[in-house]
Amino acid sequence: MPPGHTNGRTNGHKSHVIPANAGTDNAPNGADSNDHPPLDVEAARKSMARMAAIFRDIAQHAEESTLGRCPYKDAKSRCTAKFACDNQHFTKNPYDPPACTAKDGDLNYRSAWHTD
Amino acid sequence: MPIVNEGLQREFEWVTRPGEQKHIGEALDLADAVMQEIAYALITGQHLEVDRITQECLNNGYTANHILDHGLLNGMAIVGVKFRDNVIFVPEVLVAARAMKAGMAHIEPILSASGIEPIGTVIMGTVKGDLHDIGKNLCIMMLRGAGWTVHDLGVDTSPEEFADAVMEFEAQVIGMSALLTTTMPNMGRTIAYFEDIGLRDEVRFMVGGAPVTREFADEMGADGYGENAVECVETASDLLDLIKELAA
Repeated sequence: MPPGHTNGRTNGHKSHVIPANAGTDNAPNGADSNDHPPLDVEAARKSMARMAAIFRDIAQHAEESTLGRCPYKDAKSRCTAKFACDNQHFTKNPYDPPACTAKDGDLNYRSAWHTD
Repeated sequence: MPIVNEGLQREFEWVTRPGEQKHIGEALDLADAVMQEIAYALITGQHLEVDRITQECLNNGYTANHILDHGLLNGMAIVGVKFRDNVIFVPEVLVAARAMKAGMAHIEPILSASGIEPIGTVIMGTVKGDLHDIGKNLCIMMLRGAGWTVHDLGVDTSPEEFADAVMEFEAQVIGMSALLTTTMPNMGRTIAYFEDIGLRDEVRFMVGGAPVTREFADEMGADGYGENAVECVETASDLLDLIKELAA
């Protein structure tokens, strides 16, 4: 751990902190709402912005990738759809998810989906 | 500290661009063994593990900031890189997003108590008769990532189920998805049901799905239309602004 860096626990944590139970009107009941270390609000806002950016990049790539690859096809080429599809190939083991037989780059994979 | 979690070390090897290696590597340097454990569990979609470790960390005095930055977001950053580089695909991303949600379930109450409230509440569901859910799930992932509270009603959702959820969760926005031309009319039927029971003015509807167009959305009386997950977030925000304007 770099010198001067805290380990994330309350001792040593400072700046912009306000008690986590501030504004207790909105604090939910239960263990999560009380007795936890204070929050650095400004840092949390930055973290939320970082999270939004990560998900935005993911969503944009999803748009591109689904142009030529079925979005229900996982990294092991198994089908994760809850509906029938002509590209599903079932193995002898009924507990195995079906394999996807569609080739990547197939722009017409949707025509194999059973839509009735 | 160096990466001590062997699984995470293997995952980090997928990060090959120099700038990202530096950026994510430096972030991981600040993650102790427990944060690395959270990051690895998230990447591999172990939502029960993320749930358990996050709760334990909070009980043991870790700050929500630290868990968010050094555990959850470090993991999600690597998921993003693997997805972009076609190492993983949409199903794996959604599984990781579920793990992220499990961790955030502990963090969000702390954010709320400190004044960082969710932007709003959305009810999401694929309409009655339709079992296609991946577009909806991507939208949910995006909405949650953008700070919305989302209640997912899943697939084959009846108008009654949408209405019950709106009342239970006091949602401002409903998002309806359909992939089939045969089920698209159920979007309009759901809106009509809300009119029948006097709830139409309490909520704004946004719709989407491959066969759905802006014209169709207008015809059925929806308030907003999103062509993809990014637009879904923008549409939800626009609808919430509209609600605030009308209330002012």
